[in-house]
Amino acid sequence: MTREQILAGLEKAVVVGNKAEAIREAGAALGSGVKALDAIDLGLIKGMTIVGDKYAARELYLPQVLLAADAMYGALDVLLPHIPKEDAKKRVNVVIGVVEGDVHDIGKNLVKTMMTAGGMSCTDLGRDVPIENFVINVKEKDAHIIAMSTLMTPTMDGMKRCVDGLIESGMRMKVKVIIGGAPTSQEFADDIGADLHGINAQDAVSKLKKVL
Amino acid sequence: MMTHIERVLASLGDKPVDRITAYPIATGVQRRLLSTPTTYAEWCSDPRKYAEAFVAGQRAMDYDFAIGLMDLSVCAGDFGAGVRFDEQNTPFVVDPVVKTPQDYETKFSNMPDPKKGRSGVITEGTKIFVDKIGKEVITAGFLEGPLLILTQSAGAEKVFMDMYNHRSAVHKALKDITDFDHAMIKEFANAKPAGLVWDYLWGSYSCLGDQEYEEFESQYARSLNKATGDNGMAFCIHNCADLPHLDTQIKAFKPAIYSMAWYPLIPGSPSAKETIMKGYADNCLVAGNIDPQAFIRFSTEKIEKTTMNLIQEVKTALCARGLHSRYCIASGCEVPPSLTTKMENIKAVVDTTKRYGQIECG
Repeated sequence: MTREQILAGLEKAVVVGNKAEAIREAGAALGSGVKALDAIDLGLIKGMTIVGDKYAARELYLPQVLLAADAMYGALDVLLPHIPKEDAKKRVNVVIGVVEGDVHDIGKNLVKTMMTAGGMSCTDLGRDVPIENFVINVKEKDAHIIAMSTLMTPTMDGMKRCVDGLIESGMRMKVKVIIGGAPTSQEFADDIGADLHGINAQDAVSKLKKVL
Repeated sequence: MMTHIERVLASLGDKPVDRITAYPIATGVQRRLLSTPTTYAEWCSDPRKYAEAFVAGQRAMDYDFAIGLMDLSVCAGDFGAGVRFDEQNTPFVVDPVVKTPQDYETKFSNMPDPKKGRSGVITEGTKIFVDKIGKEVITAGFLEGPLLILTQSAGAEKVFMDMYNHRSAVHKALKDITDFDHAMIKEFANAKPAGLVWDYLWGSYSCLGDQEYEEFESQYARSLNKATGDNGMAFCIHNCADLPHLDTQIKAFKPAIYSMAWYPLIPGSPSAKETIMKGYADNCLVAGNIDPQAFIRFSTEKIEKTTMNLIQEVKTALCARGLHSRYCIASGCEVPPSLTTKMENIKAVVDTTKRYGQIECG
């Protein structure tokens, strides 16, 4: 297969949400001498961007987006270990998670997917994440961005405690803080000292790209 | 002045009213009105405390409705999912019951007893508060639809992917859960509330398209909607999603009451005015859409102003549409059950509606 065919295959596997095919194409890319970073940027991410655009236009819905993301992550597992360290260092590092006391993570996962499709390297802390874990991981992962979400009102205060923790640890100025989730707003972000509020996954990535 | 029940019945028929109806969906937060300190965990596990909170809420706030919303892990827990109960937070599933595709086919076939677990708490508790205040206000039970129970039991992301990866297994689970919901309808009917509110949360264009919604919810919901009426309860829907399937859930399902939220930041999220002007209130009492956050973050003056603005928006739209009363001033979702929720703000929404909710079209 030609390089173009392999990249098109990766893109298509993501668009149709075929994980097995995405993994197979990723292996084919490495076996054919296609650089891992090109396979990611020109194949997987291109496909995920198409899916994101179709989701925004309501041509695709959540199940298809989740399947596409699953395919992308499957191929990323194959390709990421082959990215040279100097290239990996150039990527924007994100620490992302759902704050403590909340387990609603579909929105967070969508944001992570679109951040990954936007060329960012995400460390996903999962859901119900203790505040100190955000702060610790910002330092350990040399993060440029910390992204927090919650769908529940009682857990919103955890976002403020996280921002306070960043201040106390002297790391606040090193990271951009973005928050999201149904009960949050830019007004709330301003109140707690966060930088940005993302209305949805596309909005979050778009706003981050403007400030980075 | 009309009684609460006279006002709601008139509104359901779009007859003239002394004022439009009001019901901030304050449920779990009302435990704070009980005479003895009660945690959320205690409130949602004890039918008497659950019911007493509705009675106390009615005495304190003077609502037009009492709707027995608890939380969305009630049925999932009874199907065997692990639920974490924090003292003052809404309980949530931490250990899903579906681990493998086969679990869809086996874990829901043994129906929980609707009289036991938290299903029993909510049905028994509903009976208690219906007995105590059912002659004063319009009461309703509250029940999760099959797809919501499944996503709560298995994890939403997993279910959405398995709609394609393990389609028939997902349908087997939905059929079994629909049977359970039918049993719950009968149990609620014994409590004799005026209505039963269905939470059909996934009818949202940010989640499912029309085709998926038909396949994975509507085809099951239709039998439940009919059974609700057949068992003597008015069929109602609550859906606090951002982009609700209004054509399906209002125009096709034909509920008596439809409770919805509004997300001004989300393009296409329907406001009260848009909802009314597009005809969705022509045959249905629409309820909405004060931001639940306002009950925590706003001053009383600000939530009064917000309520006044909503009332004015509703009045203008109802009159323009030739309607008299088919809108209820409500919160788009549950009033947060937090300790920081301002109880005076709940009262302010009701009192502001009493003061300014008269409809006089020119």
